[in-house]
Amino acid sequence: MNEVLKISGLTKYYGKIVAIDDLSLTIEKGNVYGILGPNGSGKTTTLSIITNIIHPTKGNYTWFGEKPTPASLQRIGSLVETPTFYPYLSLYQNLQIITRIKSLPDAGINRVLGETNLLVRKHSRYNTLSLGMKQRMGLAAALLGDPEALVLDEPTNGLDPEGFAEVRELILREAHNGKTIILASHILDEVEKVCSHVAILKTGKVVAAGRVSDLLTKDDVIRITTDKPNELYEALVRGGWIKTINREGNELVLTLVKEKSSGDLNEFAFKNGFVLEKIEIVKQSLESQFLELVKETNPNSIKS
Amino acid sequence: MKKLLQIELIKTLNNSTFRVILILHFFLFLLLIYVSTKIEFSVPGFSTQNMFMFPNVWTLISWFASWFNLLFLGIIIIVLTGNEFSYKTLRMQIMNGLSRENFLFGKGFIILLIAIWGMLLILLAGSVTGIIFTSEISFQKVLDKSYLLLVYFIQAIGYMCFALMVVSIFRNNALSIMMYLLYFIMIEPIFRLFLPKVIRPFFPVKILSGLTPVPEFISITSNSTLITSSGKSQLDFDSIGILPESIPLLTSLILTIVYISLFILVVFTIIKRTDL
Ligand SMILES: Nc1ncnc2c1ncn2[C@@H]1O[C@H](COP(=O)(O)OP(=O)(O)OP(=O)(O)O)[C@@H](O)[C@H]1O
Ligand SMILES: [Mg+2]
Repeated sequence: MNEVLKISGLTKYYGKIVAIDDLSLTIEKGNVYGILGPNGSGKTTTLSIITNIIHPTKGNYTWFGEKPTPASLQRIGSLVETPTFYPYLSLYQNLQIITRIKSLPDAGINRVLGETNLLVRKHSRYNTLSLGMKQRMGLAAALLGDPEALVLDEPTNGLDPEGFAEVRELILREAHNGKTIILASHILDEVEKVCSHVAILKTGKVVAAGRVSDLLTKDDVIRITTDKPNELYEALVRGGWIKTINREGNELVLTLVKEKSSGDLNEFAFKNGFVLEKIEIVKQSLESQFLELVKETNPNSIKS
Repeated sequence: MKKLLQIELIKTLNNSTFRVILILHFFLFLLLIYVSTKIEFSVPGFSTQNMFMFPNVWTLISWFASWFNLLFLGIIIIVLTGNEFSYKTLRMQIMNGLSRENFLFGKGFIILLIAIWGMLLILLAGSVTGIIFTSEISFQKVLDKSYLLLVYFIQAIGYMCFALMVVSIFRNNALSIMMYLLYFIMIEPIFRLFLPKVIRPFFPVKILSGLTPVPEFISITSNSTLITSSGKSQLDFDSIGILPESIPLLTSLILTIVYISLFILVVFTIIKRTDL
């Protein structure tokens, strides 16, 4: 079973506000799955449901291919919205509560405090931490017991640039070790740099989902100037290379089908005796797509 | 189960509000008993000393202790549980795989431990006072009425379960404490007045507080003074609910257990449903 999390038709109403609307996603083992969306698009709501904090109005989800139980959450490390701990307990005592819940040895506590640079504050009360340290403490708690999957809601919230880079590295390292990571963020750059997959949310609906690389290259526009534009046009279309193509004077403006890259195109032209005077790739960034996808953001729909 | 207890002990024993309330409880309770032994008023035919002898000392001290149940133990439970909502730590624990039921079992452990603590305190205070004041101690005198310890224990659990229910409903310390106290001292007593006499004795406050009734000595003296001073009949006192009830203790105990089950049922239903 490679499905770590499967969400089907999840819907949550807050009174008349529709926070998420018929949301479905499948996240497989080893994915670093970004959930990207502007403020209020339903990221936290989604993560709160899959961590059993709130009840969905409709729909269901499975963890590790099974109906979720509190025990399935013991295999997951999560940080949803802001970290929450007992303010009057030390970091160590707070983490002891989690090791008791998850039946873990206390030995792991020092490891995660070390990984998040909090070891020197081990015996400080939680409420004496700075904002960024609290965020790190949230991450430390999520990492306890080396869980199979991590659910992280804006984990870089409140961190300094160094912390930012550290968290990013940490996520990549965990991903490299085969962990499944679900990362909610409204920062495109973050998702682009660390995620393998992304689902883009807009007012509680998935507007696009897939591999980050697919979403990125999908609409790359290639501009070619060649000595024989008509012939090349013909050859490319006949060879099944083309998704869209236009002639602008001597220039061909085209997008390729998924299977082909601009490198392949170069090679093909060379082998068939076309001289490419210019080949220019206009990468359409995820950002412009993201903005396009979420523009005209309406206020959350109201249940009728 | 052992883990649940450990979790609850880490949270509770390190909580300064909890420590302060418990220490206050300890000292004020002993102080109250000490001071009461110093007060002397004589009514013909009664001796104050009599209240502090075995077995009457159990009645007196469990009555004193029942006030602390309302004011201290119930409020401890509100604070401890209310914090789980305001610090959002209940949410944190659920997210890490604790079930809502187990969270409540943890709170149940604390309720039991606190009730045992209260009972031990009565045992200690009652034994010492009794030994000091009783001239001829016999085994039988000591044991007679010592069942009140168990009655107190059940009453303490009743108050704390009620408090747990109130805080589950309001999820806010200040509001919960207010509603909890108001219910005991105003809402239910006033509400009762509008109902037929036959059902009045069966309300939770009436049943719970009736478990440890005002010791006869005090009730008779206060009763007699009030009758003479204002000329009112005893019937009015009955209806306001100051005087001990006529319901037999065993019936009260059974009803208390029914109420406790009801409170627990409500708490489970609410906690299972709420979004955190
Ligand atoms: N407790 C609540 N009561 C009422 N409405 C809520 C509640 N929580 C969330 N909402 C609404 O649900 C919608 C989705 O909120 P959510 O917190 O999931 O967004 P988000 O994507 O996490 O946003 P952000 O990037 O700001 O964290 C918003 O319109 C929000 O106002
Ligand atoms: Mg959010």
